[in-house]
Amino acid sequence: MSEHTNGEHGSDDPGPYAGVRVLELAEGISGPFAGRWLAALGADVVKVERTTGDPSRAFGPWPDDLPDDETSGLFLYLNGDKRSVTLNLETSDGREILRELAESAEIVIESFEPGYLAERGLGYEELSKDNPAMVMISITPFGQTGPNANLPATELTLYAASGQMWLTGHPARTPLKNGGSQPSYQAGLNAFAAVSSAYYGAVIHEQGSYIDLSMQETYAAMAEAFHNRASQLGIETQRGGNFLNALWGIYEISDGYGGICALPRNYPGFATAVGLPELQDERFSDPGNRLINNDELMAILYGWFSGQTRQGLMEKGIEHRVPFGFVATFEDLANSEHMQERNFFAQRDDERAGQLTYPGRLWLSNEHEWKMGAAPTLGEHNVEIIHGELGYEREDLVRLRELDAI
Amino acid sequence: MFDPGRPLSGVRVADLTMIWAGPYAAKILADQGAEVIKIESPRAWDNIRTLIPPPVALGERWWNTNFYLHEYSRNKKSLTLDLGSEAGKQVFAKLLPHCDVVIENYRTDVMDNLGLTYDWLRQQKDDIIVVGMAGFGKTGPEKDAVGYGPIIEMMSGMTSTSGYGDDGVPYKSGISYGDPIAGICAAAAVATALIQRKRTGKGQYIDLAQREVMSALLGEFYMDWSMNQRLPEHMGTGHDWLSPHNVYPCAGDDEWIAICVRTDGEWEGLKRAMGSPEWGERPEFSDQILRWEHRAELDELVGTWTSTKAKTDVFAALHAERIPSSPVWKMLEVIREPHLKARGFYEPLRHPEVGIWSVHGWLWRSDGAGPCILAPAPEFGQHNDEVLGGLLGMSPEERARLEADGIIATQPEGVPLASEMAPTPSML
Repeated sequence: MSEHTNGEHGSDDPGPYAGVRVLELAEGISGPFAGRWLAALGADVVKVERTTGDPSRAFGPWPDDLPDDETSGLFLYLNGDKRSVTLNLETSDGREILRELAESAEIVIESFEPGYLAERGLGYEELSKDNPAMVMISITPFGQTGPNANLPATELTLYAASGQMWLTGHPARTPLKNGGSQPSYQAGLNAFAAVSSAYYGAVIHEQGSYIDLSMQETYAAMAEAFHNRASQLGIETQRGGNFLNALWGIYEISDGYGGICALPRNYPGFATAVGLPELQDERFSDPGNRLINNDELMAILYGWFSGQTRQGLMEKGIEHRVPFGFVATFEDLANSEHMQERNFFAQRDDERAGQLTYPGRLWLSNEHEWKMGAAPTLGEHNVEIIHGELGYEREDLVRLRELDAI
Repeated sequence: MFDPGRPLSGVRVADLTMIWAGPYAAKILADQGAEVIKIESPRAWDNIRTLIPPPVALGERWWNTNFYLHEYSRNKKSLTLDLGSEAGKQVFAKLLPHCDVVIENYRTDVMDNLGLTYDWLRQQKDDIIVVGMAGFGKTGPEKDAVGYGPIIEMMSGMTSTSGYGDDGVPYKSGISYGDPIAGICAAAAVATALIQRKRTGKGQYIDLAQREVMSALLGEFYMDWSMNQRLPEHMGTGHDWLSPHNVYPCAGDDEWIAICVRTDGEWEGLKRAMGSPEWGERPEFSDQILRWEHRAELDELVGTWTSTKAKTDVFAALHAERIPSSPVWKMLEVIREPHLKARGFYEPLRHPEVGIWSVHGWLWRSDGAGPCILAPAPEFGQHNDEVLGGLLGMSPEERARLEADGIIATQPEGVPLASEMAPTPSML
């Protein structure tokens, strides 16, 4: 490939979102995840935190397991390159400052319970009154309307509510949740796609929009073919654990777990890569027969995989263009020559948290870079923003602090 | 008139994607108002069309009907074009000046092998935005590795985080999770590039590795590794400091409900919902730390309460107390789930040959937007005349010659009509 993808972009463009002001009224993972990438791509993201801080500051991991609001790994990951201002929206001064901030915002990301902002005169209608090109997104577990709109949720209950849990786990055991905080992360990624496309529309048409994003819905939309199978044919799907069939699953290998995901067109390459003569037999080489003789094929492959290694599977996969893989750990990934050569990681010596390695971008482009800077401390930019940009006097800051507004 | 649901109206996309990750991206672009022209070769069509053979796939021209295709390709147009032939490439060169975006999720080397390099694409349209979605990216020692969603999930670290915890076995997500995640991100990349082009006048090349996008949804695990050299433990459906926090059995076969109690207030609510059982007052359940320490026993007791009741009844009782909870909805249930129904999440899809079934509509909804689904997935080559004749002004004779030469088609080469086929088992 030519130089546009080699990771040496050399672009001095200030970024796709340069000059764009984003107001982030969001806590936890979803909203901050979307805001994080807007900030990395040049936006001025003002993160409005409650006076006690985004609760994600109180979630680990921390260096040496020592809890500290300024060194939470989750918070540092999600909030790089933003500016932090504290506001108490239960005070009239706090609400007034928010309204002033919104006047210059192109994008607002919020994750309060449905109705919270509108009840305080801070809904889309009010905030965009003099700013019709404003794009605002609300990210909540179940959206702004419907019988469950105000039902609290967790990662586990959202995974169940979206239909994903029914599909995950061993058929003879309880349904399972996948790891980490996927309901929140996938919603954050959807929110990033939503505001970027809505903001493009706003740039072209000079008209903004208000977006209602339900975490349940964005995850339910990923039910693959399985909900359509139900709605078109009336067929229920049973969870299959680690296997859809013998050629689509995870096997134990000599140094961990390896996988194969082969569609019918991948079979010839697969059979060559495995090299067992019986795989050329008509019982397996024909796609229909292969499904009929699935158990037999799986038994053969259990044996074959048990003698394979992670490195060996990768090499065979690349050589024969077969979809092999292995269950990689974060140690494997942090040390991956491939990922490092592609400059995937932000590698930063954080003033408070020490040496950190974490995902630093989503894609490579020949026209822009990704910032990989530090996350703000709580209220770090109060003076800069409230005094410096909104023009409040220094004595106002004292009063606001005494009134618990900041 | 600006339609707030279709902010990408006016954008035209040449969609070369196949299977899931790429089509999911193009689906989002189409839903958002872009004109997406799905381009397939008469000899190398989107495999999803024929992945599910008759009798499961309905209709005589069964490559146009299966539910999997319609999930990802509604609202798109179909142009068949053999990009491996010189004549096909010439037509593509004529089409590109009318396009803003080219998106593909081929194996890393395919575009270059076809002669469709970034430089060539730019020669046809200088400010073109090109998105390549190879699983492992276009550069680096593993660029030639290939993989579908579960492989991406395994290679990103995702699978290492999932499991029951008692057997050491890592589990994949129930779906091919890596695919839609990459698709959503690619849609964001396209919009971002359009925004930048508006200011700079320049297009760009986007190298989006599916594995990297999936990895970006796991930031805290990378942090724990770099801070403490610690790898995640499998949590099953439990939690590392909350209880009750689990999936509990309900009456019936394979029926479950997820319940989470995060505060003392929610614990009081759960007790009321359970009819204030005596055991609820035992001192070992009196605060969050104690409840977590006694979680095995607590799970047993809560599960005894749920096990004799319908999951919808348990949910109604918990909903009234605002306890985080949800039935584990099966596929036949989630498509009729009352809350999603009230919001109109699923929309009817009308197909001339198959009839009506429901598919999901808006991923997110903008105030003032109408229905999401305007058309089912296009038939193979359905818009050949519209694109080649209408947009490019090619005469009927020219189009007939392309068809005679096999450059365009309305039936994938070598695929028989359903009536000419023996029934075949389906992997789905």
